[in-house]
Amino acid sequence: MTVAAGIGYALLALGPSISLFVSVISKKPFLILTLLSSTLLWLISLIILSGIWRPFLPLSSTTWWPYGILIFTAVAFQEGLRILFWKIYKRLEDTLDAFADRVSKPRLFLTDKMQIALAGGLGHGVAHAVFFCLSLLTPAFGPATAFVDRCSQMPFFLVSAVIALAFVTIHTFSMLIAFNGYAEGNKVDQFFVPIVHLASGMVNIIQRLNKNSSIC
Amino acid sequence: MASKFVYFLSFFIFRLHFALAGQTNLMESVPDLHNSMYKVLDGYPCVRLLNLSGEIGCSNPGREKVLAPIIRFKNANELSQSSAILLSMGEFQNFFKRISNDSTFARNVGGVLVESGAEPQNMLKEFSPARKFPQAEFSPYRSTNYKWNPIGSGIMWNAYNFPVFLLSESGTLTLQEEVVRNEKSKKSYTSVVAEFDLVMQTMKAGTHDSESCLKEETCLPLGGYSVWSSLRPINISSSDHSKPIILTMASMDSASFFRDKSLGAESPISGLIALMAAVDALSHVDGLDKLSKQLVFLVSTGEAWGYLGSRRFLLELDLQSDAVRGLNSSLFEMVVEVGSVGKGFNQGIQNFYAHSTGVSSALNKTLDALKRAQDSLKSDNVTISSASASNPGIPPSSLMAFLKKNSLTSGIVLEDFDTVFSNKFYHSHLDELSNVNSSSIVAAASLIARTLYTLASDTKDLSSSSLTAIKVNVSLVEELMGCLLRCDPGLSCELVKKYISPTDTCPSHYVGVIIDEPTSTPYPPYVGDVSRFLWNFLADRTSIPRENTSPVCSEDCSSKGGVCIGAETDGKGVCVVSTTRYVPAYSTRLKFESGTWTVLPPNSSEPIGILDPIWTESNWNVIGLRVYTIQSAAYDRLVLLGGISITILAYLAILITKSIITKAMKQD
Repeated sequence: MTVAAGIGYALLALGPSISLFVSVISKKPFLILTLLSSTLLWLISLIILSGIWRPFLPLSSTTWWPYGILIFTAVAFQEGLRILFWKIYKRLEDTLDAFADRVSKPRLFLTDKMQIALAGGLGHGVAHAVFFCLSLLTPAFGPATAFVDRCSQMPFFLVSAVIALAFVTIHTFSMLIAFNGYAEGNKVDQFFVPIVHLASGMVNIIQRLNKNSSIC
Repeated sequence: MASKFVYFLSFFIFRLHFALAGQTNLMESVPDLHNSMYKVLDGYPCVRLLNLSGEIGCSNPGREKVLAPIIRFKNANELSQSSAILLSMGEFQNFFKRISNDSTFARNVGGVLVESGAEPQNMLKEFSPARKFPQAEFSPYRSTNYKWNPIGSGIMWNAYNFPVFLLSESGTLTLQEEVVRNEKSKKSYTSVVAEFDLVMQTMKAGTHDSESCLKEETCLPLGGYSVWSSLRPINISSSDHSKPIILTMASMDSASFFRDKSLGAESPISGLIALMAAVDALSHVDGLDKLSKQLVFLVSTGEAWGYLGSRRFLLELDLQSDAVRGLNSSLFEMVVEVGSVGKGFNQGIQNFYAHSTGVSSALNKTLDALKRAQDSLKSDNVTISSASASNPGIPPSSLMAFLKKNSLTSGIVLEDFDTVFSNKFYHSHLDELSNVNSSSIVAAASLIARTLYTLASDTKDLSSSSLTAIKVNVSLVEELMGCLLRCDPGLSCELVKKYISPTDTCPSHYVGVIIDEPTSTPYPPYVGDVSRFLWNFLADRTSIPRENTSPVCSEDCSSKGGVCIGAETDGKGVCVVSTTRYVPAYSTRLKFESGTWTVLPPNSSEPIGILDPIWTESNWNVIGLRVYTIQSAAYDRLVLLGGISITILAYLAILITKSIITKAMKQD
């Protein structure tokens, strides 16, 4: 597909994150640190999960319930991580506010808090996109293209780039919603995020195991 | 308020995600993805061969791989761009005829893929890319437009500046899958392309004939190692070397359009197998020491490319070199050549023809011996007749090289045809096992064995019972056919593995190139599998056990005048006494000195040398064939545009959101 298409797919998956980074996050160094640490935390969570699940692999591809349990535990672990992230953030917020009081500068505004949440979510999203889409993109820079039987209208790389884009958006906004929910004590928001995360994971499984469905 | 806005946006995104989730990676890793995108096709190439005046064969036109969309020949009336033509064997001849007639069509041919089909209705009845009179320039008679091979089209003797590949069965299936998949998807922006990697070094270096390419070291000369053996070992030290010699020969190499698929089952391997079976039958006869004549067997290689083996053998005889120590060419009384003998079976009778040359008492004696052998085989319905007098002379055979050297040589070529080749697939990749009949080879072997015994023994010792005692081992013939003409068991068959460890299972009888310096004691990995097997087989059959020493091979085997059979096998071999030697087979006009080959001017002592085209084969780096689907350039650019526009739109959206939020904050 050549270099042009390869760059196109990479931009499709990560373009909005790059724009977000350039316009919002790069302005404040603290946000860059938040982004990097949330990326790291997300990857560590995946490594720990894979370590826990290693003895049970490979899963049989005919039954659906082992995959269901896998997704459930993965989502639960990551939501737990989000709550941990929130707790660390809360402690950080108190420290920063105390420091601001000491040097007579203003405290964190709502926009600042939302930006920190945004950076955290973007970190998760970028990690997902890089490891699940960009890593597959190397063959896309060569002359050939690939089509998968289950969606033969679009090239495989296009499909994976669009999905990566969707995941970036989900991760970014879910962090935002979750932090908002925890801050205001809004139970609806607090449960909205894990439920959506779990649902999207389960849809993944159903689509994978139901051979007749086309996903295009 | 802001959170509500965010809420709304995220809901929309989640819906999108639901729609797309489910695409999972079906591969385990990126290399798997790469392998499923680029399919490597298994095939046999046609390579570039050069001679003194030019080149033949196929090659990529430059230094790069050739990329061309695949189109079937029956859909290719007009070619708008450089394309890869997909042919079946039935269309092969028509295609090349069109190439030679229509230059606009030929200009747009980027590469050729030939399918190998297994359906019987597509089976060709006859196909030969060789000339109508193969190697006519070496014939001792003038009528060089006699058509020994009337169906020969001469396709393999032209030069083509595009790559040609013959696909194997698995390659054909893979290609069909790709093409059918592309046709079913009906997308206008994708096409299936073939990527040919057949870059020949002579094409890169610009050396287009043998002399220049040998000087630049971009090619190597064709050649190999012939094997000769004497039925009772010749005692070198004894002074009595006056026994007349009867030389029986066969050749072991064939040629075809596709380098690695030249089995040559009928021409010449059927003759080789008959010779081997005859040697085996004779080795079991009592009283071989009392024969009045010396029986020498020669299997030469390179015969399809200017009779390299025979000519070099004759030259070595003149030079009295190490390779032919013990042979005196003046003692050659008779030369018997075994040609194609696999198709003699016709309505219950095995018919063979003796093409003879020269007039001498030895020749008459041989013809009588043949008649005697025929009579002894009456129960097997074997007949041998002299060839028709309307033939201009002997058919293309190694005997022609002997006649050019000494026109008074008496010789006979034993063939299964009279006036034209019975082999309908001469020098083609279709000359394989199904083209020969084992009973015909057995009959020929019996004829040869009994004739040689009659010729070599004194008449008073000869009785009809001693003749009928000479029986050819039918299972040996069938085993040899399985080893030399099939991929399964191929060269991993037990008979071959008893003597050598083969490098390849599938046998191929293309002569190959000479690696490094040609000597009479070559380094075994530089000698082809078939030559090594023949050496060991003949040495085993013509040997006498060593006395006074253990049969296991060790250093003192050769110092005491013995040779080691089966030295490559795990048992480390057996030491026997046998006169079996390798003779290098390469053009008499080439000389290897200090690491390079030089072309010698024609020598007056070998008048045939001036006719030698001096065949060489170009070097190459890798040869490969891949097929994959590509997108049109317009689609690629569309994707790039999409990616850039999404990035810019996102940027703008973020800026707008930021300004809305700032305004909202200001209002609070």
